[in-house]
Amino acid sequence: MFRFQSLDEDCTLEEEDEGQIEEEDGIDQFNDDTFGAGAIDDDWQEEHKRLAGLDRTGLGAGLGLGGGGMGGESDLGGAINSTHLHSSAGHLPLPSSLKFSSSSGLPLPDMEDRGGGGGLAESLARLILEADPAIAGVGAAERPGPSSSSSGSSLSPLQGLERPRVLPQPSCIPHLTQSHQLPHHPQHQLPPGPSISGLPPGTSPMSMLSYQQQQHMLRRGTAPMAQMNSHSIWENSMGFGPVSVTPTLVTHMEDSPLMSIIKEVGLPKRAPQGRNDEARDLSERVPPPRSSSPVIGSPPVRAVPIGTPPKQPMSHALNHQIHHPTAVHVRAPIQHRYPPPFPERVSPNTLLNLAVSFSSPQLFQNSPLCCGPFPPGVGPVLSQIQRAQLLNSQVAGFPRGGPAAPLLPGGGGFRPFFGGPPPPLGHRMGPPPPHCPPNHTPPIRHNTTHLHPQHRRMLTQRMQNRGGEHGRTGGDRRSRDPYSNLMSQKEKEWVTKIQMMQLQSTDPYLDDYYYQNYYEKMEKRQERERDSSKKEHTTKLITPQVAKVEHTYRPVQFAGSLGKLTVSSVNNPRKMIDAVVTTRTDDEEKREKQVWNKRRQILYTVEKMYSLLLEVQDFEKRFVQAPEEDREVLLEQHKSNTVQLCNSLREKEWDDRVSDEQCVMIMSVRKGKRLISRLLPFLPSPQSAAVVMAISRNLPALAKKDKQDQVLCWLVEPVSAVILSLSSSALTDLLQELQGNEGQLATVLHNKFGVTLLYLILSEGERMQSSDSNCQLMDDNRWTELVFSVTRELLSVPASSLSPPLFTPPNLLSLFSRYVDRQRLEVLQDKLQISSLSSPILEGLNQALCNTTLSTHL
Amino acid sequence: MNYVPGTASLIDDIDKKHLVLLRDGRTLIGYLRSIDQFANLVFHQTVERIHVGKKFGDIPRGIFIVRGENVVLLGEIDMEKPCDTVLQQVSIEEILEEQRLQQQSKQETEKVKMLALKDRGLSIPKADNLDEY
Repeated sequence: MFRFQSLDEDCTLEEEDEGQIEEEDGIDQFNDDTFGAGAIDDDWQEEHKRLAGLDRTGLGAGLGLGGGGMGGESDLGGAINSTHLHSSAGHLPLPSSLKFSSSSGLPLPDMEDRGGGGGLAESLARLILEADPAIAGVGAAERPGPSSSSSGSSLSPLQGLERPRVLPQPSCIPHLTQSHQLPHHPQHQLPPGPSISGLPPGTSPMSMLSYQQQQHMLRRGTAPMAQMNSHSIWENSMGFGPVSVTPTLVTHMEDSPLMSIIKEVGLPKRAPQGRNDEARDLSERVPPPRSSSPVIGSPPVRAVPIGTPPKQPMSHALNHQIHHPTAVHVRAPIQHRYPPPFPERVSPNTLLNLAVSFSSPQLFQNSPLCCGPFPPGVGPVLSQIQRAQLLNSQVAGFPRGGPAAPLLPGGGGFRPFFGGPPPPLGHRMGPPPPHCPPNHTPPIRHNTTHLHPQHRRMLTQRMQNRGGEHGRTGGDRRSRDPYSNLMSQKEKEWVTKIQMMQLQSTDPYLDDYYYQNYYEKMEKRQERERDSSKKEHTTKLITPQVAKVEHTYRPVQFAGSLGKLTVSSVNNPRKMIDAVVTTRTDDEEKREKQVWNKRRQILYTVEKMYSLLLEVQDFEKRFVQAPEEDREVLLEQHKSNTVQLCNSLREKEWDDRVSDEQCVMIMSVRKGKRLISRLLPFLPSPQSAAVVMAISRNLPALAKKDKQDQVLCWLVEPVSAVILSLSSSALTDLLQELQGNEGQLATVLHNKFGVTLLYLILSEGERMQSSDSNCQLMDDNRWTELVFSVTRELLSVPASSLSPPLFTPPNLLSLFSRYVDRQRLEVLQDKLQISSLSSPILEGLNQALCNTTLSTHL
Repeated sequence: MNYVPGTASLIDDIDKKHLVLLRDGRTLIGYLRSIDQFANLVFHQTVERIHVGKKFGDIPRGIFIVRGENVVLLGEIDMEKPCDTVLQQVSIEEILEEQRLQQQSKQETEKVKMLALKDRGLSIPKADNLDEY
């Protein structure tokens, strides 16, 4: 997109210029830095001045051409007019003066068009050619060329001198043909104003004019006409809805398609006079050096900031030596190392027009390419874009009409010339596709090295399929469209370059994960399908790796001076606050920190254990999936993990037992409790028993700590599993632990988990007793005593303080019935809400149910 | 022709007739002349097409520059495809009138809805303000 410099539609007086100049220059300076010197340059101002001299000489005639349309233009046309003005002095008054001046010439245009236009054309052409020696050769050859039509010649001077316009108009010529219609529209006549000579120096109305003319031809004053004209192209190309036709414009309608084609054909011989070339050059001069950002501390100042529209003409499109030393495919345009034989400032569009001229055989000799092909080594790099161009020129159908081939820098006509490029494009190019149009040299591929070879193959196939279709239809349509190619080749390349820069990545597996994976899978699939003999066909995917370079700014320090010289720029902004860490030595803080440290340590331990635990838990899954050879390794790993886990529960390395403190510590954290509950099934039984012991021993403390979280109940399931596996002595021990000191049981009963645990123990004991007649539970009196004390406690404790358990095992009743008399049994029954079950079968069923509810409950 | 094969780019769409739907609901049809890296679009011979029911009307707008962020979708119009549509083209005045009526009726229903919601203690913010958040 082009940047419009300033919209000074209202400023028509010269006096206002001065005040605004500096401001605008300043703004433009900033704009330059940001957007690049798209159009503001010093040189073209001088050019303007020079050409203004030309203006004064014989412009009156030519200007009249456009004058008629200017008066009644629509708002849009006016805006466009002024937007094409640059902010430098002398340009602001241009539109108005132009209007005036051009209108003064209004009665004359017809005559002078045809007659005097030639003289004007000559003078303008001379001026341009002087300015641009490179084109001199071209111009000289073409000047004596006959003008095929009067209006063609009248247009040529205007195109001969194209000032830096924001929007180039390479082929808007056809509508200029309507200039001869101007006299029919008297309402567009403006009062005569100052003559051209009144224009301040440095103006060049010509290009303005030409563009404005073109605009005005379309939008002449009245809205219906605008509508008419805006439909005209659409009408031509496709019936797009009904169009309200005003009688005056019928003639236009009829003429325009025919005229446009004629004009196009008649045009090309004039085009290479550097019309476009001037526009390109003058907008591409080097901008004034940046005033800010010195070299120290910032990246090298680019003459052109990133994001600038293209400057150099891509004449190395015609080079046939390609160097691509690195895998970085996007490059800024590189200065020519050798003087190109081709005129330096010939733009792709010029080349295009040359191509067009080439298509009409009588003009072939005028083409500068008759100078012969380039010497080898003309340019260093054929960039990706240019190669794409070449490829397109050869893959796409050749027969495209005139300016309809914006992408053909040389067009198919340069075939003999392009005989050179394909071979040196060398290693980047793949084999030519199986079928290509017979009139093309082997097509060149894009620089698609960064694509997967499979991908590349698919793309070239696709392009070939499409190339034929599009070439025929697109060209046909575009030959009728006089507004095509507003976006020059360079601009397209510029946009593409920006987009490609965005594609560069330092980590393709991160940025383009799905693409990489997809093609990897495809490769693997293909490898599997093919047999091993064909292995050499699978090519490795090469991805461009942009080097990750660390750019850190180190402030410069001069020897012997205090401090460092810091320069702030975009890449190292100034530090606003210099933060320094200082340690505070407060006693209280130390204590607080200790507490926090302890907690942090616990959390840290928990985390470590968790990661081990997860590995252990996943072991099963991985083991199944792993191939045979890996299984042993996995097993080893698993064992070590388990061992590590167990060790972590111990306090000291040499202590074999599970450390109480450690357990308690872990369980003081919510996550720790969860961890233990998940961990228990994986521990070997003595250790898990020890853990459960530790839990029951410290239950009151744990219960207190759990008040907030209330997550102790997570432990029920794993603990019950452990209990079931306990031996009778262990069980007795457990019960003993649970009872612990005086009053512990009461606390235990208070807590839900405690009650549940108690019941579990009792139930297990009962189960043991009832199922196995010669179990050792009754060998010593401990169990009996313990149960007695439990029942005593249960009886004494008020019902309200008894916390309801998670579930009540059914065999408690039978347990209690052994130890207490009937009366107390009933009391217990009420308190604990144990139902009485007489039938042993039912009891057994209930037992089973109880076990299942255990698992579902939790 | 794609300069970077394997990617999507608007370069190939240049000089072709397109239909673009903007975020404010407008539909523009025009020739795409220029683009930039933000997908700002330059349309030539733009026509704003207003659809109301089965009718539509075209308002010629000239040259439009659309900021890329305001584009909802953009599609090429196939000139060769036969234009068999049930839509009926009407004049600009008529379509504007239709549009006004449509907006009016929409506003009325919206008002009734808001009132009903208010009675129930609910308030749903209007969609057009949401962009600001």
